[in-house]
Amino acid sequence: MAEVPCRRIMVVDDDVFILEVMEELLRPEGIEVVATESGDACIAELEKGFRGVILMDIMMPKKDGWETIEEMIDRNLMEGNVVAMLTARDIPDTELEQMKEHVIDYITKPFEADEIVAIVKGYLEYLA
Amino acid sequence: MEYTAPSGRDSRTIVVIGSSTGGPRTLEIVFAQFPLVDAAIIIVQHMPHYINSAFCRHLVDISHMEARIGEDGELIEHGTIYVAPSDVHLKLLANRTIRLFDDEKVQSVRPSIDVAMTSLERNGNDRFVGVILSGMGSDGAEGIRHIKEIGGVTLAQALRTCAIHAMPRAAFETGRVDLMLPPEGIRERIIQIAGIL
Repeated sequence: MAEVPCRRIMVVDDDVFILEVMEELLRPEGIEVVATESGDACIAELEKGFRGVILMDIMMPKKDGWETIEEMIDRNLMEGNVVAMLTARDIPDTELEQMKEHVIDYITKPFEADEIVAIVKGYLEYLA
Repeated sequence: MEYTAPSGRDSRTIVVIGSSTGGPRTLEIVFAQFPLVDAAIIIVQHMPHYINSAFCRHLVDISHMEARIGEDGELIEHGTIYVAPSDVHLKLLANRTIRLFDDEKVQSVRPSIDVAMTSLERNGNDRFVGVILSGMGSDGAEGIRHIKEIGGVTLAQALRTCAIHAMPRAAFETGRVDLMLPPEGIRERIIQIAGIL
């Protein structure tokens, strides 16, 4: 039996506009979008069993993207997910240094619609 | 930069590509419709172990090369891409045999690009190409220095085309990078050097 490709992504961003845009772009492509507004909400979805591509904003109040990933690692919630970071700013090299085996990509906002769809589709194939 | 075809049947052209954060997007461009070339290509991509197999399958899907996860003791062959498995280092013995080994992380990663590249040896007519793509940190810089020292060609991804430009920048700062190229240029240069099978 052919493997069924994963078609789920989770967008983690405190900017509701970004969440809405991602849904508008990806749902027509047949991709299920789980929209979460915080690191804690992301962790809760993972605890409920979410596995797929995760697009994680770096700058979020309370728990930022890096802290969320650290918690995912500590709680063994990384397995089965492909994580790419979303950000509107450059970051110091040292911040990602310890994460590079866990974070597959770093996507700078603003992004082109076609580009983000292609990127997400590409990473979904890694979870087939 | 000019090459003549290897004169002996036993010679190898070995391309080692080091890639980290943002690298898969570049690899997608480099290997889309990539022809069957007369070289063995080794990819050291920093990634979680559970996507190793799918990463390989994707390379098979988009290119005309064979692609598989490198296995310990395996002899490398032209026309094949060998992906370094996560969580172990990969090196080549005598430019021919893959050796996987569990050792301390190098540059905070395992597999390390430096470990793979510095295992290459000047040997007969063997030819080498070292490539550094998008990524954080400086893994691969020592490897590029080594490949240049043994007479290879060294390429790095043009900084403006990188998601993260630290690795290509570190390679560039060694003064041993021949060309900084966009993904399309890296693809064409590898094909040109290796030749089509």
